Amino acid sequence: MSDDRRSGTPVLLTSLSSAALLDGQGDLSSPRETRGALYDWGGVYGQLVRLTGPWRVELSRAGKTTGLPATLVDAETFPGGWRSRHRWEGVEVVQEVSAVESPPGAVRRLRFTTSSPEPLRLTVSSRVPPFLLPVLVEGVRPVTFDVAPQGASVYVRQHGFALRLSSSLTASRITMDGAPLPSSSHHGPVGEIRFDHDLEVVAGVTTELLWQVAGGLARDLEVAEREVGQPPVAPDASMAAGALADQQWLERTPVLDLPDAPELSRAYASARAALRRLYTAPGDGLVGLVAGYPWYSAIWCRDLAVMLPALLWLGDSEWVERSLNAVFRFQSRQAVQVLGGEPGELPMQVGPGPIFLYGTSDTTLRFPAVVEQFHRHAGDTGSLGEWGDALHRIVEWARARVDPATGLLRHGGEAEGIEMATAALSRVRYGIDSPDTTIWDSADRRDHGVDVQVLWCGTLRATDRLLREVGDTARASRCRGEADALEGTIARLYLRPDGHYLYDTLRGATPVEQVRPNALRAVSAGILDHATGMRVVERAADPDLTTAWGVRTLSSDDPGYDPMAYHAGQVWTIATAWAADAALSVGRADLGVEYLRTIGRRYEAEGGFANECYRGDRPEPFNSCYLLGFSVAPFLCVLFERLWGITLDALSGRVTVRPCFPASWTRARIDRLRVGAGHLSIDWSPERLSIRWSGTRPITVVGAGGEMVVQPGGTGELRGRPAGGQDAGTEPSRPAV
Amino acid sequence: MPRHRVEALVQLLRQGLAIEGQFGLHPIEALVWVALTVEESVYRPESFVQTPTGVAFTLANPPLRAGAFSALRVGVDGRAPVPEGVRVRSPPGGAWREASGLSRSQPLELRPGEPIDFEVETALEGRGRPRTVRLELQSVAIPPLVWLEFTDSPRPVAGAP
Repeated sequence: MSDDRRSGTPVLLTSLSSAALLDGQGDLSSPRETRGALYDWGGVYGQLVRLTGPWRVELSRAGKTTGLPATLVDAETFPGGWRSRHRWEGVEVVQEVSAVESPPGAVRRLRFTTSSPEPLRLTVSSRVPPFLLPVLVEGVRPVTFDVAPQGASVYVRQHGFALRLSSSLTASRITMDGAPLPSSSHHGPVGEIRFDHDLEVVAGVTTELLWQVAGGLARDLEVAEREVGQPPVAPDASMAAGALADQQWLERTPVLDLPDAPELSRAYASARAALRRLYTAPGDGLVGLVAGYPWYSAIWCRDLAVMLPALLWLGDSEWVERSLNAVFRFQSRQAVQVLGGEPGELPMQVGPGPIFLYGTSDTTLRFPAVVEQFHRHAGDTGSLGEWGDALHRIVEWARARVDPATGLLRHGGEAEGIEMATAALSRVRYGIDSPDTTIWDSADRRDHGVDVQVLWCGTLRATDRLLREVGDTARASRCRGEADALEGTIARLYLRPDGHYLYDTLRGATPVEQVRPNALRAVSAGILDHATGMRVVERAADPDLTTAWGVRTLSSDDPGYDPMAYHAGQVWTIATAWAADAALSVGRADLGVEYLRTIGRRYEAEGGFANECYRGDRPEPFNSCYLLGFSVAPFLCVLFERLWGITLDALSGRVTVRPCFPASWTRARIDRLRVGAGHLSIDWSPERLSIRWSGTRPITVVGAGGEMVVQPGGTGELRGRPAGGQDAGTEPSRPAV
Repeated sequence: MPRHRVEALVQLLRQGLAIEGQFGLHPIEALVWVALTVEESVYRPESFVQTPTGVAFTLANPPLRAGAFSALRVGVDGRAPVPEGVRVRSPPGGAWREASGLSRSQPLELRPGEPIDFEVETALEGRGRPRTVRLELQSVAIPPLVWLEFTDSPRPVAGAP
């Protein structure tokens, strides 16, 4: 993400509790096409609250005025921040911008120099529109604010959300919408708060001016300011700490080397760096990953569940454990209709406040498999007892939605439930007629979407295995029985008569003809026999579903196809990752790798970001967050789970490596793959699999050449051609253990 | 207070207690902040007036969703929402546009923080009584319909019947 002046490439600065959004030209401005219209997402975000709108700086001198971006000379990202250099009217300006963790917000530091023999008088103006609303509320900017001058700073509050604007030098003037700031507090509309600083820049002397925006929850800002102090703090320590944390995190993640596909090695590094930008610990004990930027900068639990497995492969099981604890804390124990919550349900979204909402059909189903994967990667069942009841409540929540005749999970009507519960409470009512809430939540896929059934099956399988770990075989056996039956039902009811693809959903008992990529999830889950799985994978590769830039959410041959519709024709990278996953799972290495390359090409074109979605008729992002966890985490998982074919179980000390590399590949290597408390290095060639192991207990490694036990600190080698994509007739591999 | 509203408030109270019992008081407080903000920041009650030909009102923000909209329909007092007779401008002071002229290629663009003025030609039965207005918007990017409905008493303006 270093070439920041490339047209359209945004700059995203993050700390664990804050973010600053820039367009790389000099201001905290970031205009993006959003749902079809241009909108500026630039500004400062703290505790998942949008604190400000676009934050602009102006320079004035001798009757002339310019915006800072118009004076840009060059710009660069550096560890912990972003720097721009400007030149105007004999003045050199170096600006540094950084996201600050405590108090949450951002700092801009401007340093002015001149070589002019005469002192230069310059007015520097900072213009900040307050916003102060959690990002989860789309499309609304509050109308009224409480504004109060406090010493050299300005405090702005909107209900329980607050921000402080401060500067290192006393402002010459502070104005609000062009009028002097009232000396006492003001309540009403506020467009913009402006700080003017009249400076004299002298040759040989650097004049420094620092601005800070900090905020989020008013009560947390108060606490942070008591600890850190009110005046703006030089960002050096914060930038260094952020850079160090990033570096240390990076040094703990695996190194992936694919000499026969260096573009995939680069894509891995890109996706890993992008995922790191989504880490968040915004306060109130919440830990997780932001779904994306700019407009999904909140913890969406569906997205979190999709991202956490990638963190496990990257070796950060501690962050996964903390994230799971945060989500389970908000598991609903009773029906709360105004929030859309049912007993056992996990939230759709959580944020500081805490603010949380329920009401999706699939979020809750995604977590048991993550819990199981966490235990296998971390090699620790310590938290199982704590989470055991939560898992049981999840299964009971889902069982309440099961059609007794078919065993299929029923979804739809979740948002309508919230609407009915709140209808009589206000004279103003709002709504979006979304009858359904699967991953494609703007599409009506009632009543039994195929991928939701696959998730339900995964929930039962994961719960079965977890319950067995704690000796609860009775409940485990019930889960296993239900999963076995459900797999049979999926294979029986969803397969089309020609045997080439699956129906997308069943409306009542009637199959819905739409062709969507969601069917590929049944292939990945190993629910279909190998021959059927191959046919489904090949059908999905047809041009009505697969384009050169990824996989569409709906076949272009469908009467409802619309290339601009979010979930009815647009290309989504997560769907492309599903296609790669499914192709590799049935041994189609060539096809799987091509899907992965497609994703990698997008990362390169987008300067390290990863768009959410693209138009269905051309490779153009539309209505797309420029970075979405959905677009990087599944890609990372496919590299480890399918391309490398690794399954690991630190509890039993057993790792299986069955790569699905194209037949032409000659070499591949992974270093620093975390398994429990140890690390594994894997060196692959067609003739052998070499292992180095740093753990404290022996580990069993299984490959195509057999199995071996590698001692702590030791090495081992398996000879013989590993099974892989070159053997396209192999049975599909099953996920999990 | 109408009976259904009392029942709704009792139900809300019950659910508030359920939330408090599980998660403490903070979530209730925070949810109220958000709910109040949305309540205060979209429909502007003081803007609702009866005009010589119908009603007019202003929204301070788009209802729930921003972006480009290919269709806008408004219905008053239970009549089916239609684009005909509806004029809109955003931001105020800009040019009025006929809702019937909106399309995918000529959409209405709505942004957070930008107010939207509406004028609706409609026959109004009776005087001085509350009116129910339903507004529907069709996004070009996300298919499901976005709607807003309010019931309020319009202030008469000069020339209004």
